[in-house]
Amino acid sequence: MEKLIITVLGKDRPGIIAKVSAGLYALDCNLQNVNQMILQNEFSGFFIVEPPETLNMETLQQRLDRDLSGEGLQIYIDQMSPLDTKQVSGVSETFLITTIGPDQKGLVARFTKIIADHGVNVTNLTAVFKGGNDPNANIMVYEIAVTHTTDQTHLFEALRAKASTLGLDISIQHKNIFETINKI
Amino acid sequence: MYNEQEILSTIEMVKNEHLDVRAVTLGISLFDCVSDDLAVFKKNIRAKILRNAAELVQVCDFVGEKYGIAVVNKRISLSPIGLVGAPFSAPQMVEIAHTLNDVAKAVNIDFMGGFSALVEKGIAPGDRALMDALPQALAQTQRLCASVNVATTRSGINMDAVYEMSRVIKKSAALTADDDGLGCAKMCVFCNIPQDMPFMAGAYLGVGVGDAVINVGVSGPGVVKKAIERALEKSPGLRLGQIAEIIKNTACKVTRVGELIGREVAETLNIRFGVVDLSLAPTPTVGDSIGEIFQALGLTSIGVPGSTAALAMLNDAVKKGGAFASSHVGGLSGAFIPVTEDLNIAEAAANGYLSIEKLEAMTCVCSVGLDMVPVPGDITEETLAGIIADEMAIGMINNKTTATRIIPVPGKKAGEKVYFGGLLGESQIMDVPHAELRDTFVKQGGRIPAPIHSMKN
Repeated sequence: MEKLIITVLGKDRPGIIAKVSAGLYALDCNLQNVNQMILQNEFSGFFIVEPPETLNMETLQQRLDRDLSGEGLQIYIDQMSPLDTKQVSGVSETFLITTIGPDQKGLVARFTKIIADHGVNVTNLTAVFKGGNDPNANIMVYEIAVTHTTDQTHLFEALRAKASTLGLDISIQHKNIFETINKI
Repeated sequence: MYNEQEILSTIEMVKNEHLDVRAVTLGISLFDCVSDDLAVFKKNIRAKILRNAAELVQVCDFVGEKYGIAVVNKRISLSPIGLVGAPFSAPQMVEIAHTLNDVAKAVNIDFMGGFSALVEKGIAPGDRALMDALPQALAQTQRLCASVNVATTRSGINMDAVYEMSRVIKKSAALTADDDGLGCAKMCVFCNIPQDMPFMAGAYLGVGVGDAVINVGVSGPGVVKKAIERALEKSPGLRLGQIAEIIKNTACKVTRVGELIGREVAETLNIRFGVVDLSLAPTPTVGDSIGEIFQALGLTSIGVPGSTAALAMLNDAVKKGGAFASSHVGGLSGAFIPVTEDLNIAEAAANGYLSIEKLEAMTCVCSVGLDMVPVPGDITEETLAGIIADEMAIGMINNKTTATRIIPVPGKKAGEKVYFGGLLGESQIMDVPHAELRDTFVKQGGRIPAPIHSMKN
């Protein structure tokens, strides 16, 4: 059987990962990758597992639904698909785009459209809308994977122009500078 | 993944604390260009510089843009022209200066160093011709920088050269009188000149350094100042050892940035990477000042009692942090205290906190010397030579580099204003006390012997 990706969403509380992993262990699944994130109070967790040949997805779904019943969590199980051609593959260089400035609706939508129009993948996005009057409290950081086919100059110019019309301070820097300064 | 704090502190360093790479300097050896035919020599050096440096500015800008860190100055340092141009006369040296100035313009760099002579033990014909040519060469060119090494710890001080250079400086000032003696701002007199320094006006490519090399000079006084201020705001009772540790950590970060940029420029140009020069180099911009660091450390101004101790601590912490960050450190590596180039230091001089004697004392513990010091135009050659000799003695005895870049401003007196503009800045002219005509010491000539600790073999 192919690898499975299990997504768990819901209100954060102690014991979510413990229950999911206990259920997977009971069904003889090998946990390969786990990542979790808490946004405000919402939990999201991703589990990539290698199931035994004999296990089917329904059995796994029922087991996890039962173990986590009453917790108000959504559990989705999917088969992992091999890379398709639309996904970014090959050598890429990571740039960080940081915008700082007043909060307004549609910021992420506008910037990610420009990035998508240039065929560039966003590999990580952190948006911290803290609100209030301090413009520096609203910060967005996009990590993007620029490949050799990317029209880098055009992309960066478009992003800078957009930031300027939105009154945002923008910095576009290769990730190595953050690596160099912060990680020894 | 980087946390918010890491990203914001990096952006803060670049945007608000003036972190930049002050200079990427491409060193080019001219030894394979030599000829006793002036036309051939000029043709050879032009071709070699163009071959190596055609893409320098473009690559520096590209790499700077990639990391969001400006490479402020792109420069070239050359083999000492006094050596490679040894067969030529002074007027021919002036012609070479013009060629170099034209090539500098062609490759769009701001300064080209290496119009230099090494005369610590004696003056050879090529060195003599270069020194004689200096006033005219510097007056007639814009981008050429010169340096003359008149002393080393191993050789002692060539007092004939010191005296000669004081005459050269006076002539240079006279020939550029309309620009407040600007010619002198492009010329340094050295003791223990480093072979791999990226900073002007003293940069030249040493004889044993190879054919072409990229050296990088970092900056970052604003970053150091802010780091001290932030730490003291958080914990006002910090002890000096803890503050030194903060400076060290900050210098380490600044140096790593320089090394990252330098290595990438070198790799792109397919030229060997040489050294990072750890110097904290100020500009005449508020927030980009060495002088302000003294205030962050709790002194009224640079120049007041305590300044030498503060500078010693600063300089040492910068070296320790930088040495850890880079595998190849060189050049001057320390703090610069140029009077006109640092707004805060210029103000300290104008307000009477900083005298020329205190500056000299401070050069015992920092990386350079009496740098960009404007003095009255009527200073005598003997007094000027005395100041240079004192500074060279500090370098010779302490086994360190010292230099002078003194500008006698024609027709102006102490307290009057001098303005050079750009990175060279502006300030009031400093008073030189005891400038009497009766001092004959330098006129004795000859050499001050090398100190006892030169005998290390």
